[in-house]
Amino acid sequence: MTKKPTVPPDTEKIRCPRLGHQIPFSYCRRENQGLPCFKTADCWHSHFPVVEYLRKELTPEQWKTVFMNRPKQKMLSLLDQIEQAKASKKGK
Amino acid sequence: MQTKKIFLSESEIPRQWYNVAADMPTPMEPPLHPGTGQPAGPEDFAPIFPMPLLEQEMSQDRFIDIPEAVLEKYLIWRPTPLYRAYDLEKHLDTPAKIYFKNEGVSPAGSHKPNTALAQAYYNKISGTKRLTTETGAGQWGSALSMCCKLFDLECKVYMVKVSYNQKPYRRMMMQTWGAECVPSPSSETAAGRKILEQNPDSPGSLGIAISEAVEAAVQDETTKYSLGSVLNHVLLHQTINGLECQKQLAQTGDYPDVVIGCAGGGSNFAGLAFPFVRDKINGKDIDVIAVEPTSCPTMTRGPFAYDFGDTVQMTPLIAMNTLGHSFVPEPIHAGGLRYHGISPLVSQLLLDNLIRAEAIPQLETFEAGVKFARTEGFISAPETDHAVAVAIREAVKAKEEGKEKVILFNWSGHGLVDMAAYEAYFAGRLQDHALHEDEIQRALADIAPLPKPKQYTGA
Repeated sequence: MTKKPTVPPDTEKIRCPRLGHQIPFSYCRRENQGLPCFKTADCWHSHFPVVEYLRKELTPEQWKTVFMNRPKQKMLSLLDQIEQAKASKKGK
Repeated sequence: MQTKKIFLSESEIPRQWYNVAADMPTPMEPPLHPGTGQPAGPEDFAPIFPMPLLEQEMSQDRFIDIPEAVLEKYLIWRPTPLYRAYDLEKHLDTPAKIYFKNEGVSPAGSHKPNTALAQAYYNKISGTKRLTTETGAGQWGSALSMCCKLFDLECKVYMVKVSYNQKPYRRMMMQTWGAECVPSPSSETAAGRKILEQNPDSPGSLGIAISEAVEAAVQDETTKYSLGSVLNHVLLHQTINGLECQKQLAQTGDYPDVVIGCAGGGSNFAGLAFPFVRDKINGKDIDVIAVEPTSCPTMTRGPFAYDFGDTVQMTPLIAMNTLGHSFVPEPIHAGGLRYHGISPLVSQLLLDNLIRAEAIPQLETFEAGVKFARTEGFISAPETDHAVAVAIREAVKAKEEGKEKVILFNWSGHGLVDMAAYEAYFAGRLQDHALHEDEIQRALADIAPLPKPKQYTGA
């Protein structure tokens, strides 16, 4: 498959490796609280020049937030999640 | 007539799980709490896991008794049959004997209930009233839902909203088994409400769903959280599969030269392989292969190092094979194999050369899956196809070498609710990706300044 030169429509679907089913490009672009999923560059790499596109769409700070502050693995994030939940409980 | 399926009677089901940590030549290095730099202990996780599971997580006992109540429920689908793949052997014209352990016969269709059942039991006897978890398409959520019902526990599954809306069948499975499945973000947790306040139409994410499930556990003393991969106790519970398999192979008079499993978080691979790793530690000559995608070569090309699990660097440091936290893997259509880091137990066995890793391009996995379906009948889950592909590679190699090898692989689940991946393969919408060396080196440079464990293998 060759890369298309243009950005795909929001409705174009590929399989999401994290969720395990087909999802539209629009989801990838907004998955991370309005910012792209950290795997967007990975998953759409073969479909179009996605890195180039994202570099244009995102500010340097957003780029850093999405691709340098990656979502945590389940195992390693558990303690952090517990602390957040405890803090939330205290704040009630 | 040749024997196709090798069964164990119910009375022959293994009575203990096997804990590979007891036999590992190199003791496991503990996870380090990022705040203190000290080992994280059971008390750190006590708000979300019951003590029996935390004890198993840290245990050095070689064998751990399977409670009678768990054995009784295992009998719903266990012992699972061991198959001889005669038609695949014939198709490949190989002198090898190919066996596969069919874990797809569980009610949820995969190996996942092996630990879901045990976790439900230990929570039940610890006073837990309700378990929470997160799920995407719903494979783990459905397994836990079934097992909670078997032990009369409530189960709450936070299902990512986009999955909830698009994948009704596993959601219906969960509901059929009595679980409460809610779309995440929900209004029931602070984490969910915060997201909904910002965006009432949020389609959700796994990260949000995990936050909700953990928060629900932390905030209610009778609620705990359940995880289906990576952790030591999860891998422990899966070993009933390999222990059964050893008994079944003994009936045939064969012993495997090669043992194969696909490795994402590690539970699928560990379940079949760890009991054979024990034999290898005790002198058996076995090639134990953990299969991963070429596009995400965590095991085949990553060094062993302390890596921050997140780039915020607030989570515990843990020794594992890794490509570094800035690595973004190439695409692959097998969701279960996309972990950035694998189980620490699997990493350590790799480091000790007791197992090895092999990477497979995704097109080869689907070619193998289709070949398997057209000879042996079963349609595999996409991640299971990785093990099928390496089994075929080994069988072809045996033919080339003229050796009558015995090959065993874990057929970890069916793909009947995952046919869209096959559709994409048949439509030519999948392609292979190779990770360039410069990309790997860039990722590894990020972890260079981090503290190194004793067995660090990087340059």
